Order: sequence, then C-alpha cells, then structure tokens
Amino acid sequence: MTALVQRHRGLIALCSREAERVLKLWSQTIVAPVLASFLFILVFGLSLGDRIREIDGVPYEVFIVPGLIAMAMAQAAYSNNSSSVFQGRADRYLNDVLSAPMRSWEMNLGLSFGGIVRALAIGVSLLVLAVAVTDVPVREPLVLVAAVTILLVLFASLGVVVGVYAETWDQAGFVNNIVILPLSFLGGVFYSVELLPSPWQEISHVNPIFFLINAIRYGFLGTSDVPIGIALGVTAALALACAAWSAAMFSNGRKLKA
Amino acid sequence: MPHALRIRGLTKRYDDGFLAVQDFDLDIEAGRFFGLLGPNGAGKTTMISAVCNLIRVTAGEIDIFGEPHDSLTARRMVGLSEQDVNLDRFLDVEETLLYHGGYFGMRRPEAKRRAAEMMDVFDLRAKAGVRAPKLSGGMRRRLLLARALMHEPRLVILDEPTAGVDFELRLELWRYIRRLHDEGTTILLTTHYLEEADELCEEIALIRDGHLIARDSADGLRETYGADSLADAYVRAMGAVG
Repeated sequence: MTALVQRHRGLIALCSREAERVLKLWSQTIVAPVLASFLFILVFGLSLGDRIREIDGVPYEVFIVPGLIAMAMAQAAYSNNSSSVFQGRADRYLNDVLSAPMRSWEMNLGLSFGGIVRALAIGVSLLVLAVAVTDVPVREPLVLVAAVTILLVLFASLGVVVGVYAETWDQAGFVNNIVILPLSFLGGVFYSVELLPSPWQEISHVNPIFFLINAIRYGFLGTSDVPIGIALGVTAALALACAAWSAAMFSNGRKLKA
Repeated sequence: MPHALRIRGLTKRYDDGFLAVQDFDLDIEAGRFFGLLGPNGAGKTTMISAVCNLIRVTAGEIDIFGEPHDSLTARRMVGLSEQDVNLDRFLDVEETLLYHGGYFGMRRPEAKRRAAEMMDVFDLRAKAGVRAPKLSGGMRRRLLLARALMHEPRLVILDEPTAGVDFELRLELWRYIRRLHDEGTTILLTTHYLEEADELCEEIALIRDGHLIARDSADGLRETYGADSLADAYVRAMGAVG
C-alpha cells in the first residue's frame, strides 16, 4: 500500500487539488445546483404532482427525481472539469502539472477527479433531500451504481476534452448550455417518452441522454422506457469513447501542448 | 558524469507552420551557470518548453543527466520558473508549494518542511495564507522561484526570472540564485538584462532565429567580437547574422 501511494503521489496531489477547488467554492459548486434541482422537485413534483396522473405506476413527484439527479450530476461533472482545465490552460498553471513526473493517465484522471467529487456531492445531497420529501425508492442499487459510474466517466471525460479544446469561456460553456441542458430536458426528465406522439417518441431514441436518464431511473424505480441492457450499453459506449478521446489527448499531447 | 542537459537536433515547427527552432544542439555540463541570450522570438522559450515537456517536439533528442527528458526520472530533476507568472489562482502561497511538492512526488511531511524553508528564504512567510492573485508582482515572482526550487531539482531553468521586478528584489534574487549554484545546482538562465548574464553566468550562448550563433564566457564573447561590454558583443553578434 505504501509503495502504491509512493508510486502515485503526483496523482494523489492532483486529485486533492481538484477536490479542494470544488470544496473551496462549495456555495457555487455544490449548494447552488442542489438548490436549483431541489426547487424543481418541490415546484414541479409536489405542487403539480396532484394534477398529473401517475407515470409507469409511479407518483409524478417520485418519477422526476432520478432524471433531475442525473441531469444535475451530468452538468456538474462536465462544467467542473471543462472550467478547471480551461482555466488551468488560460492562466498556464497547468504547466506545473504537465512538467511534473506524472504519467499521462495520472494527469487525465487527476484532472477528471474534481468533476467526479462535485457530481457525487450533488447526487448524494439531492438523494437525501428527495428521500425526505418524496420517499423515492432505490429498487435496483447495482444498476444505479453502474449507471452513475457510466455517467461520471462520460461527463467528466467530456468536460476535460472540451476544457482542452476550448479557446474561450463561451466555448467551454457552449456544450453545457446548448447540448447537455436541452438534451436532458428532451431526454425524459419530466415525462416518459412513451407519452409522446410519433415521430417525437422515435426521435427521442437518438438522444443519448435519454438512455442515461432511463438507466438511472431504472436504478431508482425499476422502470425504464427502454430495456436496461440497451440503456446501459449505449451510455457505456459513449462513456468509453469520451474516456478514450481524453486519454489520447494526454498520451500524445495533441491540443494540450503546442 | 553525464551532461546536465544534452540537446541533439532539436526542431520545433508549430501547428501554424512557424519554425521556431531547427536542428539545435546544446550541451550544458553539470554544475554550470549557463546563460541563454537572444531577442524575442529567438527560440529560447521554445527550447525551454521542449526540455520541460510543455510542447510537442517535432524532431530531436533531449537528455537530462543522461535520462530522456520525458521520463519520470528526468522530469523530477528539473525545476522551471517561467517567464509569465503562472500561479494557480485557487491556492494560497503555502498550498502552491505543497501541491507542487506533491506533483513532484514529495511526501507530505517532507513537503511541509521544504515549503516552510522556501517561505523563509523568499520572505513569503507572512503571506502563507494569501492566494496568488492577491500578491504583489514582486511576491508572485518570489513564489514562482520558490515553487521551481521546491522539489530540490538538480537543473533549474529560469526564464527571465527578474523581468519586471525592482532593483532591490533583483539583487536579492541574484544572491539566492548564486548561492544555489554554489551548492552545486546547474542553472540555465534566460534574460534580456545583459548585465545580469554578465554578473551571474559562467558561460553564455547567443541564439537567434532558432540557431546557436555563439557560445563562450562573457569575457570570451567580448574578445571574439572586439567589444568593451557584453551588450556591444551581443549587438555585434546579432548584427553579424542579421
């Protein structure tokens, strides 16, 4: 164990730095997104819940919880890493990491770690609050763990990739505002796509976040609009692609180094 | 004993096609105080960035104390103080040093001891809890140097370390750098202050358009170019190839 720690001391330091950045800015990085998602649960779930019939045999205020948690976690993992890496490049303090005696995968993993910490902190906080007000169950814990792991890999890696490619703050925020957020809303956070008429129901199946939300929802509620194997498979394939892209950038230095 | 730095055939062409350094060779013996002088755009920072793995090298080999520059062993032996102030805005002075120590494989107690030592040496103790953006220009420059030396590197690369600092601090930094060299550390210094190179360096290389055009002691360069001062020798050397 001591030898392992010694061998990866650089990675441990970089993970600590990324986690510390999240915790130092806790009011922005954790409290604000938890509050925003919790307000969705209160406003859409509890206040409108009485007027909306059950979906898949689940009360509406319970039905929306998994999607809201997934959306908040995805946005947190992505935006944390894209902003941290972009800031490190813009201010050039990333050079301290790039010149250090760390392996390329250690740099990649270390810079991904902040988004993972932030997403987990938000997910756990929201879960506790949601259980308190909606009594949402966790029917398939193993599926939930698998789906959350895939979510973390996918969006933490995507954040690092965009943080490396972005040339401006606008570009770093673009993917979140123009891609992740709209696709999350259209991916069935607030409704089951089976309620949609054709062709919107079919179109929903080309939205990757639809599969992710369904995988998370299956972990909580044991119900999904698509078979759970397909939901996990599609999102795992995307996560692997993003992780491979991020790993390749650190391995060959393209875009990361001039 | 291997050279502290050995560069063979270094070529760097950036993605936009700009050829910054071409077929560049350089040897620096261990324990030397070596100066690298040249105008802006000569290729000094490109060369330093290549040594420190901050850019992708187009061609060539770089060894540090006999180890390939991209190996973990070589990286551990180099300390870099960059020309631009590039401090982590989220960290205070002590954290900056401790995290740097961690990146370079130092154990926590060892890093704490060394960070305390560096803060004392560079008169940063009173600012230990202050974040980098709130430090004065001089304090940031001290912190950059302290960070470069934190992991006790055998080769210290100082890219214009006294740019923009007042005369008193420059003298103070000179004193510290000279002491470091006396302790056996190899130093590679780039500077636009020719009196700084004259004062500190045992050997000086002049570089222009990515090529080495002269290399000697300050006295040797004065003699070669028939100049009274290093500044005159520099102007004549640059003019000779211009």
